[in-house]
This record gives sequence, C-alpha cells and structure tokens, in this order.
Amino acid sequence: MASVGAQIKRGSAELAVLTLLARHPLHGYEIAKQIEEQTGGVLRFDMASLYPMLYRFERKGWVKAEWQTLPNGRRRRCYRLTASGRKQLAPLRAEWRAFFQALQIVTGFQNA
Amino acid sequence: MPDWKQIVRKDLRVLGVLSPEFAEELAGHLEDSYEASQHEGVTADVAFQRTMSQIEGRRKIWLVLRFLQEDVMTGFSRKVALPGLLTFAASGFVSLAFALAHIQPRIIWLADGQFLALPLWDWCLLPICGALGALLSQRNGGSRLQRIAAALFPSAIMGIVLLLIFPVGFTLSRFVPNYGWDTAVALKSLGLWLLGYVAVPAVLLLLGAGVIEKMKRLPAHAM
Repeated sequence: MASVGAQIKRGSAELAVLTLLARHPLHGYEIAKQIEEQTGGVLRFDMASLYPMLYRFERKGWVKAEWQTLPNGRRRRCYRLTASGRKQLAPLRAEWRAFFQALQIVTGFQNA
Repeated sequence: MPDWKQIVRKDLRVLGVLSPEFAEELAGHLEDSYEASQHEGVTADVAFQRTMSQIEGRRKIWLVLRFLQEDVMTGFSRKVALPGLLTFAASGFVSLAFALAHIQPRIIWLADGQFLALPLWDWCLLPICGALGALLSQRNGGSRLQRIAAALFPSAIMGIVLLLIFPVGFTLSRFVPNYGWDTAVALKSLGLWLLGYVAVPAVLLLLGAGVIEKMKRLPAHAM
C-alpha cells in the first residue's frame, strides 16, 4: 500500500489546482472560482494561498503562464499545465486515492 | 470601476519588488471578483468592500508573508546561502575530522616569531566541498555566478570573521589598558590568516566548482 505522507494535507490544494489545469488553461480567478463552485464552497482559495502556489508551480516548471487578452480587452495571466506538471499530478492522485481508501476502511465512509 | 492596479500598487507595495507583473495579475483577480459581486446584485459599495476584504487586515499580512516566504526561498537562500552553508558545514566537518584524528596543520615559523598554518589535508578535500556547493546551487537553479558564490561561501565567512577581528582588536586596544596591541604585528597576522584560511581555500573551492562547470558543459560537447 502506498504510504500516506504528512504532506498529503498540504498537497490537497496542489491536487485541486493541477487537476483543474489538466483540463484546460485558466487564470487565477477562474481557478479559485471553479474550485469553489465545483466543491459547493467547501474548498475555497484566497489570494494568499493561490498565487504563491501558482508561482511555485511555475518555478518548478509544472505550469506555464502566459498573458492573454480576453474578448473584453482585459489582460489575464493564464496558467497551462506542462508535461512536467502532468507527471507530477499522477503520483499526487495516487497518493490521495490511497488516503481516501484508507479513510474509508477506518471510518466506513462511502463515496456518495 | 475602481482602479484595482492602483489599489494593489498602493496597498501591497511591499510585494512590488517580487515581480513587475504581480500587481497586474492581482489587480485582475480583484477586478473579476468585484464584477462577480456586482453580478450577484449587491451595491457597488458592498462589492468594493467585499473585494477589498481579500487584501485587508489579516489576509493582507498573510498574503505578504506567503509571498515573502516564496521569494526568500526562491532567490538568494535557495541558490546561494543554503548550498553555501552546506558547503561551509562540509568544510567544517572535514577540519573537525582531521582535528579529531590528531592530524595537525603544518606550521611554518617565520623569522619574527609569527607562523603560517598550512592545513594541507584539509586543503586536499576542499575542492570536493566546493564542488558540492556548486552542485547544490545548480540543482536549485543557480546561475553560474550563484554557483561560484555558493562554492566560495566558506571562504567568504572566514574572510568576514577575520576582517572583523582586526577592527574589534583595534577598538579594544583603545579602551583596555595594557591590551598589548601592535598594529604592525596584527596586520601581518591578518595577512597570513587571510592567505591560509581565505585565499588558498578560495582557490581550492573554486577548483571544485570549476570541475562541476566543466562536467556541466560535457554533454553539450558530446552532442
């Protein structure tokens, strides 16, 4: 069984953001909004959590940021997952799956 | 519509040093957030207050701290100081190991009673320490200059310590009677120490860093 590290808690935010970016490129506000909407407000990112993380991803080469001009003429910095980011996402997902499976065994919780 | 760029520049100016694009990106986030609030049907004042709450008070402090934390770990610390301190620790460990093994530096006595310590065995291993510093800096994305700085860190620390001893001794001699300070002797000692504990180790550390630089270029030549 894969070991569940202490960093899994911190990794939850990383998992959420990388998973979203794996679907399509997004800018910061869209990332925060989509996570909040998709989780019914259970998960929320404030700017202090989101942007330092995005910059760290960019520095590590997991995402690539590009300025794009939106149809309304505004410039937004869009983040796109790189091949390196996709490689990073796979073990993160496996770790979380193991974590939830372990929790299910202990608590008897089942997915809805 | 409030000028969010101006607000970010004013309220979060401490973050302005991190990235020239940072203010624009955060301003864009606040702008979208403000518009979303307005679409919910709240007044402009409420939308403004709601948006501003993201960069005020505790959240502002947290935001600043998080970015400073990221910045500190991205720049000098990661690429120079941390590899440099590990290099310093490695060189200190080497010296300690030789001292524990009773391997003393070779002493050359000079005509005026002063001496020059030559820790030859320490010196033999210093290129490895220099290579370690350069390698760690390289792994953290350090530039060529940063890799060299990381390798030279032990010499830099020793140099600073030695250069501090001289003015401290000189200052003490002004205030402590019979301190026994002789400027000429002190200057000569300082020169000898700088040679033995700073200059020669710096050359040897650089030698190790140079090997890493050479190895770094090898694949390019091979291709």
